[in-house]
Amino acid sequence: MFARIKNWADWLISLSALIGTIGLVAEVAVILIDVIGRFFGSPLSGAQDLAQMGMVLIVFGGMALCDKIGGHVNVDLFEGTMPRWMIWAGDFVSALIGAAIFIGIAWTTWQSIYLMRFQMGIVQTTNIIDLQFDWFKAAIVVMSAITAFAMILRAIGLILTGDNGQESRGHA
Amino acid sequence: MSVELIGLLGLIALFILLGLRIPVAFAMFAVGFTGVSILNSPQAALSQLASDSFSLAAKIELVVVPLFILMGNVATETGMSRKLYDAAYAWIGSIRGGLASATVVACGGFAALSGSSVASALTIGRVSLSEMKRFDYDDRLSTGVVAAGGTLGILIPPSTGFVIYALLTQESIGRLFLAGVLPGLLLLSMFILTIMVITWIKPSMGPKGPQTTFSEKMRSTTGAAPILLVIVLTIGGIYTGIFSPVEASAVGAGLVILFGILMGKLNFKKFWKAAQDSVVTTATVMLILISAYMIKTFLALSHIPAWLGTYLESLAIPVLGVLAIMLAIYLILGCFLEGFAMMVLSMPIFFPVVQQLGIDPIWFGVLVVLTLEMGLISPPVGLNVFIVKSVAPDVSLGKMFRGVAPFWFAMLATLALLVAFPQIALILPDTMIN
Amino acid sequence: APGMSETVKFAHWVPPAHTLTKSTIEPLQAAVEGSGLEIEVYPGGELGAGPLEQYVRVVQGVADIVWGLQGYTSSQFPLTMVSELPGAKPDDMTGYDMIWSAYDEGLLDGEFPGTKPLALWLSEPNVFIMKDVDVRTPADLEGLKIRVSGSAAASAVESLGATPVQMPAGEIYNSLQTGLIDGVITGASAIGDFKLDEVANSYTLNAPLGHISFYVVMNQAKYDSLPDDQKAAIDSIAGRELSKSAEEGWYARANSVIEEISAMDDNTVYTLTDEERAAFEELTYPIRDNVVAEVGGEEVLATMRGE
Ligand code: NA
Ligand code: NA
Repeated sequence: MFARIKNWADWLISLSALIGTIGLVAEVAVILIDVIGRFFGSPLSGAQDLAQMGMVLIVFGGMALCDKIGGHVNVDLFEGTMPRWMIWAGDFVSALIGAAIFIGIAWTTWQSIYLMRFQMGIVQTTNIIDLQFDWFKAAIVVMSAITAFAMILRAIGLILTGDNGQESRGHA
Repeated sequence: MSVELIGLLGLIALFILLGLRIPVAFAMFAVGFTGVSILNSPQAALSQLASDSFSLAAKIELVVVPLFILMGNVATETGMSRKLYDAAYAWIGSIRGGLASATVVACGGFAALSGSSVASALTIGRVSLSEMKRFDYDDRLSTGVVAAGGTLGILIPPSTGFVIYALLTQESIGRLFLAGVLPGLLLLSMFILTIMVITWIKPSMGPKGPQTTFSEKMRSTTGAAPILLVIVLTIGGIYTGIFSPVEASAVGAGLVILFGILMGKLNFKKFWKAAQDSVVTTATVMLILISAYMIKTFLALSHIPAWLGTYLESLAIPVLGVLAIMLAIYLILGCFLEGFAMMVLSMPIFFPVVQQLGIDPIWFGVLVVLTLEMGLISPPVGLNVFIVKSVAPDVSLGKMFRGVAPFWFAMLATLALLVAFPQIALILPDTMIN
Repeated sequence: APGMSETVKFAHWVPPAHTLTKSTIEPLQAAVEGSGLEIEVYPGGELGAGPLEQYVRVVQGVADIVWGLQGYTSSQFPLTMVSELPGAKPDDMTGYDMIWSAYDEGLLDGEFPGTKPLALWLSEPNVFIMKDVDVRTPADLEGLKIRVSGSAAASAVESLGATPVQMPAGEIYNSLQTGLIDGVITGASAIGDFKLDEVANSYTLNAPLGHISFYVVMNQAKYDSLPDDQKAAIDSIAGRELSKSAEEGWYARANSVIEEISAMDDNTVYTLTDEERAAFEELTYPIRDNVVAEVGGEEVLATMRGE
């Protein structure tokens, strides 16, 4: 059962990273088209709008994968002197804090969409080509929820097996 | 309990969480969030979580983070970084620590185009760390060089640090840029001197390579031609106004991708790996930056900077003493805050003191920027070191801080020189702008 | 007698030395002094990064009062922003009177939900801030790259035959210096705020390029929760009075900047004659009419102009 849920989580993590990666490639393309177009007197209309919203996908798309492969930076100065249980506890607390943060980001971002759009009827968009913020905030909600979900699974895994389940990152 | 005390307790809690190996971003979020909840309200802290996440992720200036990482990753995947370091090795590898010096120069060059310490440390780190390892350089030296060298980004113009300082203090951006040039070059020389001393004391840190013939030098330089061309085109494009430093990150990434494909060194699989790796590193770096904002708000609400300002004004000691205390405060704040956040938080409070004491504001700007950068690489919490760690996950933070220590002292020496001889900073702006 | 003391947080993202402090924040603080209400200011984005989420911040309670530009999230303020358009403001009217006339008629209610506007006003007129190009006729702009922030401004620039370029305000200085852009269209006070006088050298005034609109709004629930004497203290200045002070502050700053740059030898500051201005009006006024029609702002504009 746990393994099945973990498989789903992995699938969601990959999907999220896929969107982030596509966003990155699109980001390069958008800015290059704008720069080249401007050189010849016709820049890409709304390039900055696209670049800004693309960044949202890039930044949050990679969050879950970053956590899965242990990409977050921590202070390992005292790791050598710590007993095993303390390292376990640190991993466990990290997973819980991380989950709380990303649940917080997902929940409050959803709140801001709900409040502005559905309660007050305000649809905020970018200035030149009217990309709706809410779609990109929704992406933050979903991607943060996936990240939080994966962290909760890790915390459970730490209790069940004692293993933190993070892949080591290794040199690319 | 006074708000200042809550602020102080928060910072202590941050140290403890970090010591327990809680990831840096998580620890800063936890402390910042709790602090804002207490000093403002839980609802405000929650809302800030959402609004900062969105507005920082959508901040156009930060596009350089993923794009320069992508440029570094593709340059590495296609072997362009390797070719660049082969060439550097052929020219100066026979000198002890020569590659480390070349890396510092590269940091300085990159600084001249990017204006950002984070971008410099990330890009040069991605390109250079595995290369120096290949030539048996010690991890301590190589990561130390990159973390410290990255700090040149904010001293050598164009520098976003000086722009922020100028806008906060109404000083001239042009004068500040000029004032940063000589101190930047001085610091660069100090870094190279440090490398020479380190490798002289302990040659195994950066071992000497074989002598090469002139034709070997030329052959390796030809091999590095594509990446050298990318660098020339990128810097050239900025200075001729074809694109901005932010856009340069996309141009640089686009060019290495193009050359990689043309040379048959980049297939889809390699490209995708480089791109996905960039997205992951971006997540690491951006989460740290977002969490640093939370800490900034917490500190602002705690009124600690204002309290420090009042304290400074009340001191009956000579100007140099006040200056020393101010710089010491920057060093300590630099432990927790990203450089710009720190400037925004402190300048409205410190600058009136500076003006009152008759300290030259341009000179002070240079001192502040240099001190900020020292804070960013000083243990136990140095944001620049964390950033380098994100591209060198295999090297322990302890090693990095040990490696960065000598360079920190080089910066301290530079700072002392600048305090003793303000002309180093002021001669260019004074002679070139009436 | 003053009731219980209460602190509200005023958040903005510009430095404390900005015109905003003297023209708007200090009068507001002075007005509520003695009522037990203290307005605590968090400048430079201390309560949150940048302008994009400023309105959301006050609605969600990160801050109690915020300052912002409608233009950063234009889609929320289509009707208020009609006041910004070239030729919208008659010469003998003030910007704040225009906006408040429409607000008092309830025409702008949908654009400020969840908040109580304390001040709404317009900046000084936009001007051409150019490097190495003297603008006298629309033809002088042919093919040049001009930095703009919004879509109406972008259309205006296109109508003048120039290429609109989007970039964050902090990058304008460098971009003018390297020649990435040839000029900027914005209010004269920005010349001082962003140190543009160091890199630009030719300024053209009296062109029909519109204005920039600003707001200071307070969280409605926070306002409602205050005791009556504190509400009254806020009401004693909120509205046209605070807006007048703000708008006059902006004009004063602009005038002193123009005086400053005019005094420097290496600058050209030129005011278009009315005939010269007419040539620009022919091109930019149709943009106004298009935008007004697009957002259904005919009634709003007429009310603003007292027609
Ligand atoms: Na720089
Ligand atoms: Na530090």
